[in-house]
Amino acid sequence: MSEWSPLTAEQPRSAAPPEVPSPDRKHGFGALELLVAGLLVLFLGHQWVTGLLHAPRLDAWATVFVAICVQATPFLVLGTVISAAIAALVPASFLERALPRNPALAVPVAGVAGVILPGCECASVPVAGGLIARGVAPAAALAFLLSAPAINPIVLTATAVAFPGHPEMVLARLVASLATALVMGWLWAAFGRPEWLRPTTRPTTPDESGRWAAFRAALEHDFLQSSGFLVIGGLTAATLNVVVPRQILSGLAGLPGVSVLVMALLAVVLAVCSEADAFVAASLTAFSPTARLAFMVVGPMVDVKLVALQTGTFGRAFAWRFSSVTFAVAVLCTALVGWLVL
Amino acid sequence: MKREARAVLLVLVGAALLHLSLFTDAYLRYVRTSLRPYLIASGVVLVALGLARTTAAVRVLLREGAAETATAQKRGSRARHRGGSRPDGGPQQHDDDGHGHAHGGPRIAWLLLLPILTIFLVSPPALGSYTALHASNSVARPASAKSGFPALAAGDPLVLPLADFEVRAIWDTSQSLKGRRVRLTGFALPKRGGGWYLSRLTITCCAADAVTYKVEIQGVAAPPQGSWVEVIGVWQPNGQTGRDGAVPALAAAQATGIPAPRDPYE
Repeated sequence: MSEWSPLTAEQPRSAAPPEVPSPDRKHGFGALELLVAGLLVLFLGHQWVTGLLHAPRLDAWATVFVAICVQATPFLVLGTVISAAIAALVPASFLERALPRNPALAVPVAGVAGVILPGCECASVPVAGGLIARGVAPAAALAFLLSAPAINPIVLTATAVAFPGHPEMVLARLVASLATALVMGWLWAAFGRPEWLRPTTRPTTPDESGRWAAFRAALEHDFLQSSGFLVIGGLTAATLNVVVPRQILSGLAGLPGVSVLVMALLAVVLAVCSEADAFVAASLTAFSPTARLAFMVVGPMVDVKLVALQTGTFGRAFAWRFSSVTFAVAVLCTALVGWLVL
Repeated sequence: MKREARAVLLVLVGAALLHLSLFTDAYLRYVRTSLRPYLIASGVVLVALGLARTTAAVRVLLREGAAETATAQKRGSRARHRGGSRPDGGPQQHDDDGHGHAHGGPRIAWLLLLPILTIFLVSPPALGSYTALHASNSVARPASAKSGFPALAAGDPLVLPLADFEVRAIWDTSQSLKGRRVRLTGFALPKRGGGWYLSRLTITCCAADAVTYKVEIQGVAAPPQGSWVEVIGVWQPNGQTGRDGAVPALAAAQATGIPAPRDPYE
């Protein structure tokens, strides 16, 4: 796969996915002027638009949509700053020395290294993308992608606070999440195909000021791209959040095998941030501890917002394969750990 | 995506964050209080990035332009003057969109306009009665249910967050609330089949993880749905303690309408 480096010349065109070339050149004026005109019209029609959109259900939807986007943006900025720094400032040789050469050994190292990334899952996607672009074995980067949002100290502390008097819940979450991340890393090392991963193509930078310009260009590109996909994830999650009534789910809580699956699916559709999911899990009192554990293990690894973000960073072919296998592995690990620990 | 459009988008996203967190309190409707410094910081980073992109574009234009006496003071006016249309035939290496970025730039980024416009134009209100009506009361069993609750503070009426009142009402076997006058703040919620609840939402990260608390209010006529009220009353044991999904009750002496609090969540 092609490695992006700030100093290489233009990427060969064949490396890019077969999308339509940017129409910007033809309608050079269009986009920006349309944007400004549209903004003006909307600002003038403000009152009318607001009146039109005032319905309780739509209000709740818009609030959750904005909340998800606003909440995720600082973490996305953090993630893309780290990713751009890896791309522009960390020499590739450093990462090569830091990780074992053998992917099978690099996976556990990278998985455990997830402890150091503070924050929730939105930050880890661009960081993993940056690592792969910098030549880190995808299997290791993906183990990091899955483990970082689940096992960092902030999330584990939040879990301990949400389940007071149940330290075994924190332990179970740590073990099940780490196990899922490592299994996925090894599965990728064994069966993953490089062509599923879309090579990261970033803009080449003007040669003005070297590293700083490279950093800025990578940051801008990564942020705009991930946040665009974040909006898709936010739209989906907000819709499901408002449409799926949680009461209906409580009816399914009594069935032992089903309740784990129900909670895992709920984690996928609700797309709650990994720092908060423990509190949501704690409030779903009707479910068994293992079912709630499934909510906390699956949530930071597979949810509608993350699938959108992964599609943006790694491509669609990757996102659906990876997410569906991760879901299955996470449910199995949860069931096993829940049976042993809880 | 043209570099000017990218710059505009970055500045708009940053401005939206700063609008919510720095210039107004609107962020409290969507996210937890402690996120504010991070919102401000990322807003500043994005605005700076957008402006840096603009100055970089201007610098390229300056270099491309004839060696006229382009002084630093004129940069702003030149950006406005020439920013819209890039001169054709400029050297490829300076054009880092369109060409160097053959897959059309992150055109997906246009979607950012959706949240930006929603924030500035719709300005969605905090979650309230609609969400609470469609949620059940589920107060997780706290650790202190076994070990015992700490003594309540002094004060008459005792000001308590609704969530704290509920936890004690449902899980405190020593019944520390018994006979204490408490003051609770929340919004009114009609109860199916008559009567009403006082309700409040709590959030941990953002509005997507809101959890509903409700207390049945007895002895006072129901205020309009969604209106904010302060209720003073005494806990009314209704046999619904010690189990999940219980809804405690309060025998109210008075309920006063109040303006919506700055932070709508607990």
